Amino acid sequence: MGVQIRANSSKREPCPALPLPAGSRKGDGDRDLGQPGLGCLGSPRSPVFCWHPGLAGDMVVLRAGLCPGLTEDMIQLLRANGIRTVVDFVSSDMEDVAQKCSLSYKALVAVRRVLLAQFSAFPANGADLYEELKSSMAILPTGSPSLDKLLDSGLYTGEVTELMGAPGSGKTQVCLGIAASVSLGLKQHVLFLDSTGGFTASRLYQMLQARTEDEEEQLEALQRIQVVRAFDIYEMLSALQDLRDRLSQQVVSSMGPLKVVVIDSVSAVIYPLLGGKQSEGLAIMMQLAKELKTLAREFSLAVVVTNQVTRDSSTGLLKPALGRSWSFVPSTRVLLESKEATWEKVTTQRVASLAKSPRQPTGIQVELDIGNFEAREPSPATPTQGL
Amino acid sequence: MYLPLEIGISKEEALEALQVVRQACQGDAARTTGGPGSTRTCTALELLEEEQAQGFIITFCSALDNTLGGGVQLTKITEICGAPGVGKTQLCMQLAVDVQIPECFGGVAGEAVFIDTEGSFMVDRVADIAAACVQHCQLIAQAQQEEDHLKALETFSLESILSHIYYFRCRDYIELLAQVYLLPDFLSEHSKVRLVVLDGIAFPFRHDFEDLSLRTRLLNGLAQQLIIIANDHKSAVVLTNQMTTRFGQSQPMLVPALGESWGHAATVRLILHWDNSQRLATLYKSPSQEESTIPYCITSHGFRDVQLPAVTQNAEDTEMNPRKRPRREEEK
Repeated sequence: MGVQIRANSSKREPCPALPLPAGSRKGDGDRDLGQPGLGCLGSPRSPVFCWHPGLAGDMVVLRAGLCPGLTEDMIQLLRANGIRTVVDFVSSDMEDVAQKCSLSYKALVAVRRVLLAQFSAFPANGADLYEELKSSMAILPTGSPSLDKLLDSGLYTGEVTELMGAPGSGKTQVCLGIAASVSLGLKQHVLFLDSTGGFTASRLYQMLQARTEDEEEQLEALQRIQVVRAFDIYEMLSALQDLRDRLSQQVVSSMGPLKVVVIDSVSAVIYPLLGGKQSEGLAIMMQLAKELKTLAREFSLAVVVTNQVTRDSSTGLLKPALGRSWSFVPSTRVLLESKEATWEKVTTQRVASLAKSPRQPTGIQVELDIGNFEAREPSPATPTQGL
Repeated sequence: MYLPLEIGISKEEALEALQVVRQACQGDAARTTGGPGSTRTCTALELLEEEQAQGFIITFCSALDNTLGGGVQLTKITEICGAPGVGKTQLCMQLAVDVQIPECFGGVAGEAVFIDTEGSFMVDRVADIAAACVQHCQLIAQAQQEEDHLKALETFSLESILSHIYYFRCRDYIELLAQVYLLPDFLSEHSKVRLVVLDGIAFPFRHDFEDLSLRTRLLNGLAQQLIIIANDHKSAVVLTNQMTTRFGQSQPMLVPALGESWGHAATVRLILHWDNSQRLATLYKSPSQEESTIPYCITSHGFRDVQLPAVTQNAEDTEMNPRKRPRREEEK
């Protein structure tokens, strides 16, 4: 099993992006979720750029010393005219600004050039991208060989993976298995955000005992898994913010090298907000989505979320909860089902099918035994019709 | 995120400021002993130790206790689904009595809150169950003759059991929601409560509810509120649910009511059903136990194991471990 963990590139380099075609409108629909920065700038004479969230150029306030030639007096004059951030500066017309603030046109253009060079993205070729990918991405085994096969050898860092299923289909079990495998096998830290109360430490302990006999290792593995109980969307958002602050300050403290964040489940905290006449629910859901994606991408984490399924009222088939807006957030989706259709015949056998993946064809199914994770041999993948 | 924009300081300075403020707030929260706003973080090892030290609420049916891993777990929501007449309310009443068993007999010595929406709570039946429970404990105490057993029996009587079950009657879903939202205040006054029973969560939500999406939203909000209660007050929450018929591809089958999304609310799901004339309990969903089906029966004393005719009871079977209950002939 090829498990590679390379050194994490801690400095956030601007991820190269191609500039948008000139004249494209600033529209919400065009914007990809992972890039909350600007799509394009207003004035027809200024060029158009694509900004990466890691730079947050739109958040940077003009300060003295940000670039040579930008003095305190200039900043005061600009601020008096309503230009406070880099974006405001770069997107406004230089002649107007020169007239209103009575500053020299040449000086403004020079400052503008430096700011653009500092804050804008630049195109890079695919080979460089690939190199960066190889050095920062890791593939983490989930602890179940058949599930790894389904996910193309494991969980990819920098991406959000979703597990969905009906109640009792084994989502929490798979999450516990992932936590156990990463903590014990790879000796990496795991953050488990529990919103359903389903996290049972004794079951986790059972799984660890099944993998190793050494008590020391088991206890160490247990200490590497941190559990946060967030039963409310605001608690969850603040826990994620807390994590982001700790990681960006690179405070080692008790966290250690974090590689996996498991959220069980994300629909439990969002469901009470959706629907009805208020639209804030959707906005909060998208905010959560943005947090997860930026966490995954910026800090090279593998984010695993679990989701419910609901019944489609027209066709009667099961479909993932949280709707179409959420379906763009995870890059990989796995559906877990019980092998038996009714609850009268109880079994630990489950079937996992791939519903969405950037790398594998959808519709692949494997069998899982949630009672005994490791023992299952991968059954031959039978491509069936996708979800 | 927007702090640098407002004040004009660098991002690092903003992060530091936030950190200091957060630490100051956490200091306050720690002094007020973990209020509802505090984040509940700990390592898995600490949780394991907590779980192992926690007791279970026994059901007096040893097969069911074994299936559940020792009994009904605290800090989790257990849902009991079943067709009418199979014994859901009986089990709830049994649990409301069993939660009060003193610790020396293997119980958690807590009080119970019983929220009734269907009106099926019969006090005389609870009195019967409580009397049988007290008698059972008296037999154990007589057999083992230990000091703390006899001391505990002084306070464990029929009157004390009945007085420690707090009963609420809710007639529609609005009253139910209000009651659940007021429950945390009640529980902080009565800190010994270890069990909250909600008998009939399906009943108020199944009648006269036109807007199904509102129902889903309310139920999910209710579920989150209940899990917060279970966690903060270290109590078990037990809900009962009805069954409904779903017309699947092959034949109609009985499934728990209130829809797919409600199934995710409970951590442990127990389905009670009939097989000819034998009552069976199936553990359908559990984070730590394997699914299985066991038989049980309901006697005049309450919820009990099925007495197999071939098993011979040993009357001298005294256990030194107070957590184990010796089975006796007299309790049939």
